[in-house]
Amino acid sequence: MQLKHEAGAPPQGGEIATAAIPYLEIRNIQKSFGGVRALKGVSLSIEPGQIYHLMGENGCGKSTLIKIISGAQPADAGELLIDGKPVGHLTPVAALAAGIETVYQDFSLLPNLSVAENVGLTQQLVAASGKLARRLDLKQMRQTAERALAAVNLPTSRAFLSTRTDELPMATRQLIAIARAIASDARLVIMDEPTTALTKHEVDNLIGIVTRLRAKGVAVLFVTHKLDECKKIGGRAVIMRDGQKVAECDIADHTKAELGFWMTGKVLDEARYRSAPKFGEDLLSVDALSLKGAFANVSFSMRGGEIVGITGLLDSGRNELARAIAGVAPADAGRIRLDGKDVTPRKPADSIEAGIGYVPEDRLSEGLFLEKPIEENIVVPVLDRLRGAFGILDGRRSRELAKRSVEDLQVVTPDVANPVQSLSGGNQQRVLIGRWLTINPKLLVLHGPTVGVDVGSKDTIYRIIQRLADEGMGVIIISDDLLELLQNCDRIMVMRKGEVVETFEAETLKEEALYRALVEETTARTPQ
Amino acid sequence: MTDTTFNGAAPDGNDKASLGSAWRWLLRHPPVVTFSLIVLVCLVVGTINTDFWQVSNLFDILRASVVRGLFALGVLVVLASGGIDVSFTAIAAFVMYTVTMLVTNLLPGLPMPVILLVAAAGGACFGALNGLLVHTLRAPSLIVTIGTQYVIRSFLLTFVGTALFMNIPGSMEAFGKLALFTHQSANGSISILPAFVLVLAVAAAATWWILERTLMGRAVYAVGGNPGIAERLGYNLRTVHIFVFAYAGLLAGIAGIMHVASNRLANPFDLAGTELEIIAAVVLGGARITGGSGSVIGTLLGVVLITLVSNVLILVGIPSTWQLAIIGVFIVLAGTVFSLRARG
Repeated sequence: MQLKHEAGAPPQGGEIATAAIPYLEIRNIQKSFGGVRALKGVSLSIEPGQIYHLMGENGCGKSTLIKIISGAQPADAGELLIDGKPVGHLTPVAALAAGIETVYQDFSLLPNLSVAENVGLTQQLVAASGKLARRLDLKQMRQTAERALAAVNLPTSRAFLSTRTDELPMATRQLIAIARAIASDARLVIMDEPTTALTKHEVDNLIGIVTRLRAKGVAVLFVTHKLDECKKIGGRAVIMRDGQKVAECDIADHTKAELGFWMTGKVLDEARYRSAPKFGEDLLSVDALSLKGAFANVSFSMRGGEIVGITGLLDSGRNELARAIAGVAPADAGRIRLDGKDVTPRKPADSIEAGIGYVPEDRLSEGLFLEKPIEENIVVPVLDRLRGAFGILDGRRSRELAKRSVEDLQVVTPDVANPVQSLSGGNQQRVLIGRWLTINPKLLVLHGPTVGVDVGSKDTIYRIIQRLADEGMGVIIISDDLLELLQNCDRIMVMRKGEVVETFEAETLKEEALYRALVEETTARTPQ
Repeated sequence: MTDTTFNGAAPDGNDKASLGSAWRWLLRHPPVVTFSLIVLVCLVVGTINTDFWQVSNLFDILRASVVRGLFALGVLVVLASGGIDVSFTAIAAFVMYTVTMLVTNLLPGLPMPVILLVAAAGGACFGALNGLLVHTLRAPSLIVTIGTQYVIRSFLLTFVGTALFMNIPGSMEAFGKLALFTHQSANGSISILPAFVLVLAVAAAATWWILERTLMGRAVYAVGGNPGIAERLGYNLRTVHIFVFAYAGLLAGIAGIMHVASNRLANPFDLAGTELEIIAAVVLGGARITGGSGSVIGTLLGVVLITLVSNVLILVGIPSTWQLAIIGVFIVLAGTVFSLRARG
């Protein structure tokens, strides 16, 4: 899809200017973190009964804006008005008391508390103005929870009410988070990336809930970067880029390409990076790999130079499969062969030795040593090969290796001695890829390779991936970014409920078809 | 829950399924494991030495559980909030010694309820200081309370005194002697259940009520479950931190006075070094060291188990030096069983 720059000047709000006072008005909100200006003066009006889509790339400031509206963080400057009255800065309890409810992307459920407590406690906390020396009204808590759970079509049995939330599947947890948001008299419900864990049926259920809320005059603000879903739900688009609101418009009046252009500042390029793949010998064969409670009977094989994508919803088992191949969380049955040798890993070191590099999804907690120099982060897996006399690390060779790696992967840094945390997300990701390239892997497993990476860096990372495959390396990409998979892979496997249910040739595949396969249901998933 | 098709216990035969669900039920109710260990110890000891089955033994165990129990309830509340406290013994020693000294020297006629009130308030102040430090310094509570433990103990021994108080105030002595039940056994020996066990009962009931029936209690577990989320949802972390440590301090203050009343002497060197044993009792009762769980009933059972092992193994000829090993094995055992919960 190509779009010319004459998409026109982005429209700026005010099209539905009404005489009525908006429910929530934010004026010229600014926020900085250290030297970084996350919000450079954003204004927005929220009318009752309207649906809004706050759209933008990672790092555009939309999460910061949500945190300010929900009281999680104070703004540095600017005004917040509720029903036309200035409210100063909001605390979490004050925001809740004003009717602003947030369904966070991580659901923000307390894992060790029951469903009833997660849904019903907030209301009592707000009623007590955040003061904790109050008696708990168990009956009221249960009734609140029952009402809210019924509204999102969840069961209201005693057994379900007393279940700990960490024992429930993702989709149910999300509905509980929504139930909590609507348990009290919400006037604005903010939903942060609400559809990443949902099947089609569950998305429809969510849309039904939103429609009902709207009919009651509740405003709903979706935070998202999924253009397809925004178009389907309808409402107003508020588009942010680089800490500023760049456009506000009725979502139906503009094409996906236009919206995408405003979000990224770039013409959306959906062209495939993959061209003329050359496949080598059989490389990997995964045979009936299973991990109880995560995935079952996963079998596939791939050749050198091939790029295989794996996708699925959050609880489809895709993440666990990636970790099992990398030996981080080993499978409990089945085997993995690389070049015909059984290399089924029991621990990460097994995978490394076999020549499997694994770039984890969460760079920060699973991958990088943030305070350590770039150099040390890159040479970690090959320390024993860099030993010089008396087993002491050969600093010169280590530095050379790191420098070569940094140049090779176009990491933007003046010095490999700088700590990794001085780099942007995209550059950090490249350091992590560079680390695994030092072991000359036969197979590289990339888990969410562009999560939290800006558009420019995405392009660089995709080009690196393609080059590695051209050089004969096998690459597995686990991702929920469908476009990313379509642009980069030869084959795409879709997982549902722990099983690989479909495998597509990527070249001829349409995003819609892939999305459908992703959210399709095999059996009802509503808990009893 | 029709979770996922391959998840959970496969219904391959009723026996296996019911065994599996019984096991899961057990993991969700850790006090049952603790209780089973208590029964096991009783049966083993009672079989080898029938002298075990005596009312006097029961009374001894209850009496010895009071101070430990008060400490453990405080530790439970701190653990549930995701923190840890090792300064409570120092707080108890400071409060018991200082209060005993002040009452003896200045107000010998002070009635027991007032003494308890003063001790509770003093302990709570020290505890609140812990909470304030933990919250404002954003430091791990283990480190902070190791620090305050040393400071408090050193302050006590340097500035307050090191001499034993053998003659404790009359009201305290009388309180320690007050009997709830008196039992005369067949051979004529008399055993007494002291009334101060009621202090533990009241403290346990109050702790249960706070944890289960107030917003504060739920906030404690919420913060222990995930402090970041709890803060986002509007729970005030500062209030929770100060409350849990102040409450632990309050119970420590009362425990100190109970210790003096039952031993009829105030020794500033007492109680030091028993912190780990108390924390072990709470963990044996099913609280996770990482926070967000634990119950009053489990904690009391954990205390009884520890006290039982320390008191009765001598009856079956196991030297007291071996008690620690047995407690150690129990802790490892319980720790393993309870960690299975996390792995599902």
